[in-house]
Amino acid sequence: MIGLRGGISIAIVIILCSALAVIGWGAEQAAQRTIAPEIVAKANSVGRAAADLVQRAAAVGVPFDRLVGVNRYFDDLRAANIEFTQISLNAAGGKELARSGEASPGGDAPRVFVPVEDADGHRLGDVMIVVDPSVVSQQVGAVLVDVAFIGIVALLVALELVALVVGTRGLESLVAVERRLKALKRGVLSRQEGGAGAAGDLILPIDRHVETLAERHLALRAEAERRGDGEAIARLDEIEVRTGLGRVQAAESEAAIAVRPALFLFMLAEELTRPFLPRAAQALGVPAGFGPDLSASLPIVAFMAVVALCQVPFASLSERLGRRPGFLAGAALAAAGYVVSAISPHYDVFLAARVATAVGYALVFVSAQGHVVDLSSGAARSAALAVFVRAIMVASLCGPPIGGVIADRLGPGVAFGTSAGLALVALLVARLTLPAAERHRSVANVGLADLKAAARAPGLMSLLLGCAFPAKFLFAALCFLLVPLELQREGFSSAAIGRFQMIYPVLMVIGVPFFAALADRFSARAGFVVAGGLVSGIGAMAVLLHPSVALIVVALVALGWGQAMSIASQSALVADTATSMGAGRAAGVLGLFRLVERSGNAAGPASAGFLLSTLGFASATGFLGAVAVAGALLFALSGRRIFVHHSRRPSSAAASEGSSA
Amino acid sequence: MRRTTLGLIIVFALIAAACVAFGAYFSYVTLINAHRGVIEARCGIAAQRVVDVAEKAASLGIALPAQQALTAVLERETRVEDAIRSMDLTDEHGIVLYSSEPGRVGLDTTRDNERGLTRPVRNDIGQSLGRVVVRYDTKILTDGASALASDLRRISLPTLLWAGAATLVIGLLLAALLQRAVRRAAEPHLWPPAARAALASVEEAHRTSQSPPAGATGGGAA
Repeated sequence: MIGLRGGISIAIVIILCSALAVIGWGAEQAAQRTIAPEIVAKANSVGRAAADLVQRAAAVGVPFDRLVGVNRYFDDLRAANIEFTQISLNAAGGKELARSGEASPGGDAPRVFVPVEDADGHRLGDVMIVVDPSVVSQQVGAVLVDVAFIGIVALLVALELVALVVGTRGLESLVAVERRLKALKRGVLSRQEGGAGAAGDLILPIDRHVETLAERHLALRAEAERRGDGEAIARLDEIEVRTGLGRVQAAESEAAIAVRPALFLFMLAEELTRPFLPRAAQALGVPAGFGPDLSASLPIVAFMAVVALCQVPFASLSERLGRRPGFLAGAALAAAGYVVSAISPHYDVFLAARVATAVGYALVFVSAQGHVVDLSSGAARSAALAVFVRAIMVASLCGPPIGGVIADRLGPGVAFGTSAGLALVALLVARLTLPAAERHRSVANVGLADLKAAARAPGLMSLLLGCAFPAKFLFAALCFLLVPLELQREGFSSAAIGRFQMIYPVLMVIGVPFFAALADRFSARAGFVVAGGLVSGIGAMAVLLHPSVALIVVALVALGWGQAMSIASQSALVADTATSMGAGRAAGVLGLFRLVERSGNAAGPASAGFLLSTLGFASATGFLGAVAVAGALLFALSGRRIFVHHSRRPSSAAASEGSSA
Repeated sequence: MRRTTLGLIIVFALIAAACVAFGAYFSYVTLINAHRGVIEARCGIAAQRVVDVAEKAASLGIALPAQQALTAVLERETRVEDAIRSMDLTDEHGIVLYSSEPGRVGLDTTRDNERGLTRPVRNDIGQSLGRVVVRYDTKILTDGASALASDLRRISLPTLLWAGAATLVIGLLLAALLQRAVRRAAEPHLWPPAARAALASVEEAHRTSQSPPAGATGGGAA
């Protein structure tokens, strides 16, 4: 059962794609009627200019059939007029004297013939131009692809913000009904936790049946225990496991639902900048002592480094301020940073604005995470963090294509302005949805001593340095810097770059639950971590074979697939280590994990910027891939057994932040 | 619940309609730009021919004010290209030296509100000597724009309505199915097969786990 939201979403995708295809067909018909005749007229003008030149050569005595440089001249004409597939100079007898391009034989493309005459008006030959009016249709097609992406992204945005649109209570009732129906569809008879919203009357009969069965089940089990009937107890327990009878299914965390729209909007603001940020930094001029690649990487490095460094101190700051004030302050600071980024004409000011944005980003992130952690516990906390991570992942999926389209059509300044607007909307939404929590004056937070103690946990450093660090190192370098710059060099628009950047989050969204379940089933979390590192590293190294767009796609797919394989298992291994260290030291382990991951985020673009300027794109990408492969092998050889089941805790990506900074 | 469902469906239908409208508008803008590009490229070719003549004469040492034959060249190019209304050749300060419309000679084009297509005239070392300014018939552009708009409107409006209506219909259908599923879920005998099977297995387990009848314990005494 896909539910109302899922069903309408699928329907809209199909409707939208077919509607845009119809519009594309209509646009092509319109272009054929209105623009194609103008292109033919333009071909006539170009033909007359070319014929005039040939006539002048003939007039000064150059034999018509021994003209030189005509092919190159025609090549230049075709380069300046992409609608012309072929330009030829033919003698009066039909012999071809010069040609550029080749029209497909037998096609019905319009052809223009302009005669070349000598001073007496005798025809020497013709300039022939073959026109391809479909060039305009291709331009329309590219626009419609942009629109289709915007549509699908708008849909994802609507699904994220649905609570704002229909109200939390309305959404709660819809979710309550759908959860019960889905459970019945799967043959699950467990009680459903959470409020019913306005759907109390609808779900009451279902709940009553399930409740009656559960009460009878409990009574029968108590009776069987009383009389010492082991067989009956086993039978009842088996049916309980099979049907979930008497158990309670956790509902989505209210804390996560409350923070989700605001967090999503805020993350979307930063994700908008991904496809055009390197280009925007380069456009501000290269500072003294920097090459263009380093100048493109520095704002990304500064952002990542500030986010990494602020993480630990901001945890206590956000607790002292209160989660909501922390979120609001961070969003306001980030919005100011985006505004300055939009209007700054100087590289230094731009860099400072990015640092301010990073400070705001870190404060928002820590406050939102703190809000979820404060208001949840036990298994519900994992579920709440999963919702939190999902909001970030969807933002990383939606942001780049929208940001790219805005930057292409309206300029990077407007795109930064849009980010500022989104950050402010996030601020307003957070103000409306987050509770005004109490401030904590004396709170114990992760300190340096905790991190040092965590570093001594058996096997943890090999996991963090061999896998967690290289994973983020490769991801940030490839997705945020190398791929955008290389595609920009290849002539791709920001919108197209944004679509390439969607590959990673799409594969993560699809792959993480799948590989998490597989890793748990085969009790092979460490194995999946190693395999994921190898897949993502080898994918990047493949670019060395033949640097091309196809291999860039291969590298991005391998990165997404590899990290989907490893990220949930890696998080679960870290969580297991944290649990084994005892309650007092668990926070230190998780803090160290975050710090190492974020250091990878900062080190990746920094190394990539340096390597790009010294080795070039292919070697830089190959080198970073080799780091990921070496890290995975180091971890594999470090002694942690590949096939070992650590705990009954299911793997999830909740402990990691997916693709976020 | 009903209000929520209806709200969701309407929001999604609006998204679908808005995306189709955006698609149609962006297509229109792309076509308009392509149309303008083709017209301006055509005029640009004519302008470039004049530039070539002027630059060749300049390279032979003939200053622009002395290139009297340029008036004839401008008139010829204007005649040859239908879209062109008039062509000027200005000096580097924007004063018209030659024009296909003799009345324009001496005008200051920097004060001219009507902007045309321009091509620079340079000497052998790349210094600007002046500009060729082409004023083309904007009616061609407006006619083209209205033809494109009319063609696109004819296809887009029904498509937009269809997309919105289809989303509404599918949404209402899904909502009706949801309502039916909720109604059926209230009656265990109408539950989905997996739930009925689970219920049957629970009933069976409960039946077999109940305390044996009192007589059963001493049943074998006789």
